[in-house]
Amino acid sequence: MRSAQEQLIHMVNQIGENNQQGGIESAATFTSEHMKKFWARSMKEDIINYLKSGGHGLSETSIAAIKKL
Amino acid sequence: MLEYYNPSKDLGTPAILSEILINIEIDGKSISVAEGTSVMRAASLHDINIPKLCATDSLEPFGSCRLCAVQIEGRRGYPASCTTPVAEGMKITTETEKLAKLRRNVMELYISDHPLDCLTCPANGDCELQDMAGAVGLREVRYGFSGANHLDVEKDHSNPYFSFDPSKCIVCSRCVRACEEVQGTYALTIDGRGFDSKVVAGTDQDFIDSDCVSCGACVQACPTSTLMEKSVIDQGQPEHSIVTTCAYCGVGCSFEAQMKGDQVIRMVPYKGGAANQGHSCVKGRFAFGYATHKDRIKEPMIRDSIDQPWRVVSWDEAFTFAAAKIHKIQAKHGRESVGGITSSRCTNEETYLVQKLIRSAFGNNNTDTCARVCHSPTGFGLKTTLGESAGTQTFESIRKTDCIVVIGANPTDAHPVFGSLMRRRLREGASLIVLDPRDIDLLATPHLKRAIHLQLRPGTNVAIVNALAHVIVTENLLDEDFIAKRCATAAFESWKAFISLDKNSPESTESITGVPAQKVKDAARLYANAGNGAIFYGLGVTEHSQGSTMVMGIANLALATGNLGREGVGVNPLRGQNNVQGSCDMGSFPHELPGYQHVGIKAVRDKFEAAWKVKIDHEPGLRIPNMFDAAINGTFKGLYVQGEDIAQSDPNTQHVERALRALDCLIVQDIFLNETAKFAHVLLPGATFLEKDGTFTNAERRINRVRKVMPPLAGLADWEVTMGLSKALGYEMNYDHPSEIMDEIAQLTPSFSGVSYEKLEQLGSIQWPCNDEHPLGTPTMHVTDFPIGKGNFAVTEFIPTLERSSRRLPLLLTTGRILSQYNVGAQTRRTPNMTWHDEDILEVHPHDAQERGINDGDWLGITSRAGHTVLRAKISERMQPGVVYTTFHHPGSGANVITTDNSDWATNCPEYKVTAVQVEKVTQPSRWQQEFQASDKRQKGFLNKRTRHTADNL
Repeated sequence: MRSAQEQLIHMVNQIGENNQQGGIESAATFTSEHMKKFWARSMKEDIINYLKSGGHGLSETSIAAIKKL
Repeated sequence: MLEYYNPSKDLGTPAILSEILINIEIDGKSISVAEGTSVMRAASLHDINIPKLCATDSLEPFGSCRLCAVQIEGRRGYPASCTTPVAEGMKITTETEKLAKLRRNVMELYISDHPLDCLTCPANGDCELQDMAGAVGLREVRYGFSGANHLDVEKDHSNPYFSFDPSKCIVCSRCVRACEEVQGTYALTIDGRGFDSKVVAGTDQDFIDSDCVSCGACVQACPTSTLMEKSVIDQGQPEHSIVTTCAYCGVGCSFEAQMKGDQVIRMVPYKGGAANQGHSCVKGRFAFGYATHKDRIKEPMIRDSIDQPWRVVSWDEAFTFAAAKIHKIQAKHGRESVGGITSSRCTNEETYLVQKLIRSAFGNNNTDTCARVCHSPTGFGLKTTLGESAGTQTFESIRKTDCIVVIGANPTDAHPVFGSLMRRRLREGASLIVLDPRDIDLLATPHLKRAIHLQLRPGTNVAIVNALAHVIVTENLLDEDFIAKRCATAAFESWKAFISLDKNSPESTESITGVPAQKVKDAARLYANAGNGAIFYGLGVTEHSQGSTMVMGIANLALATGNLGREGVGVNPLRGQNNVQGSCDMGSFPHELPGYQHVGIKAVRDKFEAAWKVKIDHEPGLRIPNMFDAAINGTFKGLYVQGEDIAQSDPNTQHVERALRALDCLIVQDIFLNETAKFAHVLLPGATFLEKDGTFTNAERRINRVRKVMPPLAGLADWEVTMGLSKALGYEMNYDHPSEIMDEIAQLTPSFSGVSYEKLEQLGSIQWPCNDEHPLGTPTMHVTDFPIGKGNFAVTEFIPTLERSSRRLPLLLTTGRILSQYNVGAQTRRTPNMTWHDEDILEVHPHDAQERGINDGDWLGITSRAGHTVLRAKISERMQPGVVYTTFHHPGSGANVITTDNSDWATNCPEYKVTAVQVEKVTQPSRWQQEFQASDKRQKGFLNKRTRHTADNL
């Protein structure tokens, strides 16, 4: 089963994957807005820090989305 | 809306839906009634009460007892007033010497084969036969009792809740007709002819062995004591009653709690209840004994560690202890290190207070509710497409539906009273489309004329909803006018282009869903061409990794076919627990204040901050699964759980248990020592729905009153407990009655602004929105527009779940519910409902069973990537090969030990409905089950060994 960090990575990738209809940029904007609207402060901080530390496993959409947070 | 039943009077025959009025004269009185109304009902509506036995206004007229005979000018003989419809100019006489003699003779014949034990009969004081003997003036029985009779026929006590005494039966067929017309089960029949005719269950079996589902409709319909509640037989007739709302499923049935003092004798479905209209199921009708079960927690308790026995303390000591722990945690780990979970079983007012406590006294938005694990995708999906997080119709609306679509729901088990209404409409001719991996009972509805079962593979919902939409678009079955007027054009064009792609065609998706393309086409055409098509869905839609996408896909179907904004159509989520809708409405989610107002909007926060006099965090809080992850990570240390058993109901049990063990303070407020409470440091006694005032909101958005019928066993109602805890935390709340809490809700929540207890008393119930625009509430949503203006088609790309069968885990497990048990079973397991379902079992298809050498009753080990548990086998053809099924009503079953950490992409609603598993025969319980048994014994020991301490020696 996934660790808390793995779960966060999975969640952000999943949001992006489910909203690819307008292309990566659009999906990244949607994903970013979704996280802003529904994710707790600590979750957003954790995923931002994870990206800063390398972001292994994050999709292209996720990386773009996290950068917009 | 038409009121079908007069709650205070039995008018003899049902209401007729006609606007044409007919003028008649009864006993010289001029009367106008709807065309088609019976003479009996017309008379009764004007307080002319014709004697009757076989007639009751919940059933179609039958005309067998002949007691209701009348004379009609110009007509020969003595027609039965129940089966005779009124006609223009009809002149009816209800009382003449001849009629009186005729009725006495009829009664005399009945009584000649009826025990004369009125004084010792359980129906004494509530017997229509007795009443009618009095009404017709019966004074003698000339035939004697020495001839052939039925007085010594054996009684049937096999049902745990009611007895069947055939010696008291007058063969009026009311029970048989109630089983057919109201319940739709057809478990009863009249066997034999003439003198030999008798009521039999099944094929002349005991009730318990028959198809009877113990809904109680027959007991309620019986005019004598033939079918009688055992509680009345044991304790006598109740002396007063109070109308309240059932605390089981999301149907929200109204009941009369019939009482002796503060003791409930029986729960009788209330005819004036708009949701249930006098019907009930085995849970609401009979399974209320848990309220006074010996396991009830009646005293507050505390302990420093979950490895210690409980210490009984006063309420104030418990509050002080809990508050000190929370403050200590926050001082050390920060404001956001604690949170709470509101209850979908508690009232709106109680839920509102818990989230208020979290936002005010805890100072964060770490509030969530069990809707997270059931209908959170409904909130997201419907808000995105239709603009409101709620179902669109009344239940009653289905009576105008031509095509009923049921997706991932099992209404006859999980929402039985609405299931019966569905069956009634199906018998009347509506067609049925079921999308479900399992063959549900609704498909076996007697007299069902046309049904299509799309038996899809678990996890392929979005593929099939897209295929249905593809057919509607490509075959031009769209409601172009509706789309042009009511829907956003750009979103529609974008969706249309997407859904028209060949990848969404029934032929392309057939290999994914396992459903033949032709069947999908037939279903799409049936729904789109039906006239009125209504979709009803349950957790088989939401509890998937694409739960929110599927909800949007359903809304797309309704928008595309114009099946919104009038009676008979709509999108209707069937809510699991009694107040799931209400708990969502009341701001339980971490990103929304009451009324789905986002915490990020300053104007919203300003309003609540002014009323609550606190600063509200502008960032969303943690959702339940995020709380668990944070607890395991060591950043989340304190949790207040009201009326929710997350240790049993949430997925991946071992993960949940690990999270709960990591907490420094777990405060559980519940009526029993539930599975979660075994990890608690503070146990606050909860109150059942019988012990408090408040409101529940059902799946129709209907706000119903809950009325206190007995005092709280532990002294406080749940809203009072939350106030006590909040005060100890330093945030004082001052309410003297839940009506004051509702006034505050109305002040802060636009969709509730017109709701008050006073209005609820006047109207009986209110469907929100209730505001200046809709002062009497809103039975049908989206009649003229959507809260977001135009309907919003959403593109619904099918993304397969990561949970797939493999060589190691070749089967797919899906889960569901059973009629007699409710959710985690905490209530129903403490009632005689255990008669029907005393363990969770694993249903296995014969093909899969044969491959593994499995027989009925074998112990099966079920292994997923999350865990391993053991259940007994039942061979069943309800699923296709490759799919296994179980329920989750018993904690020791460990059904959620095997469910995984997958969840819906938008809401984190767990993917309960798809788990890849392997199944094999085993000889002993799983390791988790063995540990569970040991832990259960230990924790119950801590409860039994509880000690009493005063504040001084804490």
